[in-house]
Amino acid sequence: MLLPDYYEFCCRVKIVAGHDALEKIPELLTERGAKRPLIITDKGVASAGLIDIVSAAQKDRLFADLIADNVPPDSDLRVVNQLAKLYKENDCDAIIAVGGGSVMDTAKGVNIVVSENAEDLMAFSGVGALKRPLKPLIAVPTTAGTGSEVTQVAVIKDHEKHLKMAFGSYFLLPDISVLDSRMTMTMPPLITAMTGMDALSHAVEAYYCLQKNPLSDAHSLAAVRMIYHYLPIVAENPSDRNARLSMAVGACLAGIAFSNSMVGLVHNLGHATGSVCGVPHGICMAIMLPYGLEYNMHKREEAIAGLLLPMAGEAIYRETPPAQRADKVVSLIRQLNADLNTITGGRHARFFKEVKDREGKPLVPREVLPQIARAALSDGASIYNPEDTDYEDNLMVLEAAWEGIPLDRNKIKRG
Amino acid sequence: MNSVPVFAFTCPVKTNSGNKALEHLPVELAGLNACRPLIITSAKAVGRKAVRTLQNAFGDSGMTLGLFDGVTKTADLGLIEHLKNICLEKKYDAIIALGGYDIVDAAKVLNLAVSLDTADAHKLSPETPVRRHLSPLVVVPTAAASGLETSKFAHFSRRIYSSEYLAPNLVVIDPRLTRAADGKTIAATGLAALGRAAESHISADANPFRDAYSFAAIRFVKENLPAAVIKPADKKASLAILNAASMSGCAASDANSARLHKLGQVFYEMQHIPQGVIMGMCLPHVLGDYLQEGINDLASLLLPLVGEDEFSRTPAAKRADAALAVLGRFLADLYGALGKDLPRNLREAGVPGYIMEDILDVLDKDNEGPYLRTVVERIAE
Amino acid sequence: MSIVKDIPSAKKPLKRAYVGIFLWFTGRAIQAAAKVDKEVKKEFDNLPDDFTFSLGCLPNGPWMVIGKRNGAVKYLGGNPSQHKVHVRLAIKSVDAAFLILSFQESTALATARNRLITDGEVPYALAVIRILDIVEVYLLPKIIAGLAVKRYPKQWSAGRKLGGRIGIYARTILGI
Repeated sequence: MLLPDYYEFCCRVKIVAGHDALEKIPELLTERGAKRPLIITDKGVASAGLIDIVSAAQKDRLFADLIADNVPPDSDLRVVNQLAKLYKENDCDAIIAVGGGSVMDTAKGVNIVVSENAEDLMAFSGVGALKRPLKPLIAVPTTAGTGSEVTQVAVIKDHEKHLKMAFGSYFLLPDISVLDSRMTMTMPPLITAMTGMDALSHAVEAYYCLQKNPLSDAHSLAAVRMIYHYLPIVAENPSDRNARLSMAVGACLAGIAFSNSMVGLVHNLGHATGSVCGVPHGICMAIMLPYGLEYNMHKREEAIAGLLLPMAGEAIYRETPPAQRADKVVSLIRQLNADLNTITGGRHARFFKEVKDREGKPLVPREVLPQIARAALSDGASIYNPEDTDYEDNLMVLEAAWEGIPLDRNKIKRG
Repeated sequence: MNSVPVFAFTCPVKTNSGNKALEHLPVELAGLNACRPLIITSAKAVGRKAVRTLQNAFGDSGMTLGLFDGVTKTADLGLIEHLKNICLEKKYDAIIALGGYDIVDAAKVLNLAVSLDTADAHKLSPETPVRRHLSPLVVVPTAAASGLETSKFAHFSRRIYSSEYLAPNLVVIDPRLTRAADGKTIAATGLAALGRAAESHISADANPFRDAYSFAAIRFVKENLPAAVIKPADKKASLAILNAASMSGCAASDANSARLHKLGQVFYEMQHIPQGVIMGMCLPHVLGDYLQEGINDLASLLLPLVGEDEFSRTPAAKRADAALAVLGRFLADLYGALGKDLPRNLREAGVPGYIMEDILDVLDKDNEGPYLRTVVERIAE
Repeated sequence: MSIVKDIPSAKKPLKRAYVGIFLWFTGRAIQAAAKVDKEVKKEFDNLPDDFTFSLGCLPNGPWMVIGKRNGAVKYLGGNPSQHKVHVRLAIKSVDAAFLILSFQESTALATARNRLITDGEVPYALAVIRILDIVEVYLLPKIIAGLAVKRYPKQWSAGRKLGGRIGIYARTILGI
């Protein structure tokens, strides 16, 4: 295990996980001296009946009027301010966020406003503007993928001023993340597959990106083992509660790994494809993941080979000659995408030309690839990728990922 | 693969490790809203040079540092009360503990007294409720560390304080401070880390989050302790051992089984023998007993101990035995390299017979007392 | 006498001076590169008209400021508080800056090692990092620049390298 010349690692979040972990929330609130939590969620989560499960677990701590389910899919400053008002008017003393990325972002924004008595959220944007602990925030993720229950960033949009405010601080880490198998049980196979591949991409990229360190590595390896093993199982048997819980734990481990080691090319091109074509994030991650590995192979072969044991187990590891282990990792991930494609009846896309909208229209026409390649130059994930990327590199990778053919590694520019 | 039982894990400690880590302290403290830190240390234990290195790291920051360099093994709540009053009077807003063992324990209890604004620190006890974040506490370990520096525990005046808020916000591991004066010191630190990490890793209540810390700790000790012992001035190896110590404390904060810890602690408190020395003696016996009892997963030690290749070649049924054999050879090599400097039993450690009775008395009060007694008997000669 | 001593922190005049001189030199080199190198010029062309960025050390400097003023790229001195800065690259300490600016640690590695804090709009910050990489390739001999950037640009023509290098050095020293 490599010890870098210098590294930093931090995940202060308390993880509580189990089939009935939600029942621990009242006790956790008491430990923090909190009595009146505000529950923040969105309509989708509420209509799936998940808030009922969270509520039932609160027993006498439940205040029905303190459930806000109006978080939009895209975080919105107005909603943040409105929820902060609700919090203050009701003398709340903690926040429970139930949902995916935008719910977590919104809850973090509300927490800044109520803890710092902020009139203007903008004053706290950027890195390191927060200097002290905020109010207790409990995160209850409802997808096993984003890892936002353990990340220290939040993005809030001011739609009136067309501003995107980014916040980064260890004080934005939730105090507690509660991983409960009931929260992901009703996710349909397609969503399960794409969010699961999102989690896998976090674990894998964290293992080869520049900021990797022994603790992020240990989290990555455990995450890769759990996600690779359990993802096909939950996609096939959505009601397997042990597999669901393992996926939630795996995605959380992956979230811890990548928020400390950062992500690279897969996220860089994936973000760009998402913003140009509106392809769901998880699909982009699933398609790009083998290419991120191939593109960085000449700089990170040893690390990539190190993923074979946690993925494939001892027998395959033993049978694969050392020089072929990294390649084997890439082919196993391609195979996983193919298996998920089969399990979902062909709906889990393996390459960009397979991605279609509801009407069956291709979402990523080949002509937009140059536009995506250019957009990727403005995405921060490129900083942490081991190998440099420019416009031509991006385009080459995107074309291969569109067609679904492996990268021609001889064409990758080296220094 | 087994499913995951209900569990909780937390590690409130941020790790900064490596070249010039100390120089980031002014920025780290500013991020914690602190600008007037008080350094708590023992000049005798860590050396004047270490204190100067830490001071110099604040060069150019414009900060004024407080320094108390007189922590002793007999520090008590009287000292805490005295320091607390100075802290409040001089408005120190963060504590930096430089060193290991008692120094950090004292700093944790002082932080408790200052943060809770305790009217009289003499009244502090392990029962004092802690429900909120304390003032910023930074630990800067030197070569002699128990591993518990990063944990939620403080062993102070023969009492054990325990709260996740007691754990430091930040541990800064800098290679200028981790080099040991001799092989024995770093061996003791490494063995304590190994003992704590191993006991956490195999325990029945282990979970994947905690395992990440124990896995990395075991691997670092196995890969780096021999080099660090032969060449105590080796920066890279000692840095890795102190990393392992720090990780082992994070894992041990959360673990219930702690036989090795209890044995190490009692001899440290009564005889000031570094915990790792005793834990090294007990390791084969205690792990062997765990294997016999069949509750703990000894096989899980093999991968961090030997790496992927040897692990994959060993059939699943033989992994527990293989792990114990590897540990046995590892310890034998260490004892071989250090000769008389690293005692193999209590007689070599010079524990006088009349103290043994007192030690056994203390152990008897533990709920595992009768068992711990058998281990002490086995390491006597 | 109290058992607690108060110790004011020392100064580091030599490291500060080295870092200060290097920042001054790099600042003037960026100004020069914007005139000599097409790629650097293009990066600046894509940035807003009053674009300004700073590079320096926490907590107390030194700093350098570069800005676009009336279409030209200018080294604006060492005081960021006088300007509205779009992107701030802050190194966590003078010692860390010394590591980076004495080429013991590359900019990419320093970022990866959490020594460099980037504040500002991400696309702008990325442009600044690309500009710094190109300037480093011009200023440094290949063996050192190869460490300082992720991928040394082998495909540059000998003419671009040599011509650019002479041009940038001459302009940096003359301050034009």
